[in-house]
Amino acid sequence: MAYQLYRNTTLGNSLQESLDELIQGSLNTYRFCDNVWTFVLNDVEFREVTELIKVDKVKIVACDGKNTGSNTTE
Amino acid sequence: MDQNNSLPPYAQGLASPQGAMTPGIPIFSPMMPYGTGLTPQPIQNTNSLSILEEQQRQQQQQQQQQQQQQQQQQATVAAVQQSTSQQATQGASGQTPQLFHSQTLTTAPLPGTTPLYPSPMTPMTPITPATPASESSGIVPQLQNIVSTVNLGCKLDLKTIALRARNAEYNPKRFAAVIMRIREPRTTALIFSSGKMVCTGAKSEEQSRLAARKYARVVQKLGFPAKFLDFKIQNMVGSCDVKFPIRLEGLVLTHQQFSSYEPELFPGLIYRMIKPRIVLLIFVSGKVVLTGAKVRAEIYEAFENIYPILKGFRKTT
Repeated sequence: MAYQLYRNTTLGNSLQESLDELIQGSLNTYRFCDNVWTFVLNDVEFREVTELIKVDKVKIVACDGKNTGSNTTE
Repeated sequence: MDQNNSLPPYAQGLASPQGAMTPGIPIFSPMMPYGTGLTPQPIQNTNSLSILEEQQRQQQQQQQQQQQQQQQQQATVAAVQQSTSQQATQGASGQTPQLFHSQTLTTAPLPGTTPLYPSPMTPMTPITPATPASESSGIVPQLQNIVSTVNLGCKLDLKTIALRARNAEYNPKRFAAVIMRIREPRTTALIFSSGKMVCTGAKSEEQSRLAARKYARVVQKLGFPAKFLDFKIQNMVGSCDVKFPIRLEGLVLTHQQFSSYEPELFPGLIYRMIKPRIVLLIFVSGKVVLTGAKVRAEIYEAFENIYPILKGFRKTT
């Protein structure tokens, strides 16, 4: 289930969700390599209960949370 | 370039399932009266065609039609049927793109409803533009997806590409290719280390080629000596709506050698047409998906073949 999205992508028949996000205007670029996701977003609002922060550009680097075991990718 | 937005060239080339010449098909046999009562007219002449059509035709296809005219003059009636269907495709492709644009889709889809010349096979065909209601469906399938392949001609380092290119994914544990996307045309490419690439998601042949070229340029800019070899469209998918419900059960009974319908597995009937070799997914709602085509004309031809069959299984309740 966790890889369902990716399975679609692998077949090249995906709904191109990433591009859909691009079209919606927020996601600038994305990258996935070595199990690390990197996103660059534009015009983002960070909202916390008390605070609101607006930024033009946000870079998000995300690693997998759980232990992925052996990850030899050569 | 883009005849993609204008369907007529391909649609026009299609004869009815029986291959009979119909007024819906642009006919290039000016000298085959055979009881038509119509004198063969040289192509440049203006028969009773509309001025607009004449102008367009004259502007575009004079030479091409002359060649066809000569060819057909020498053909027998029987041969005309074959050659005409071929030439109809050729002529149509060059001839009517604008005719189609100028006409609304409410008329017969084959802009050949304005047949330039009477068909020898239908002596009673008037020269004036007719709307062959029974021969053509009036519906043109829209292309939804094109899958193509191309060889960039050099080995690629996928990790480099994934790290330096934008909008790329690479998870070699799961799939041994970089998945890259571009916005315009909105497509996805699978790029392999051998240098071969698959491009999916385009809505027309030209867009698919353009997208593939853009991916090749991205790879090239990253420093690889990318070329653009053997671009080939591998599959085309189209869809349309016949606008009436269909009795799938009846269809599978009468066309069992072509159909498979297992509503518990999949709600659509899978119709495997032999000629052209196209697979159609037919749904109760009247929506039809056509796939397996290498060229656009196969999609149109397959739909024109299936439409009269679907009409025969229209739900009346």
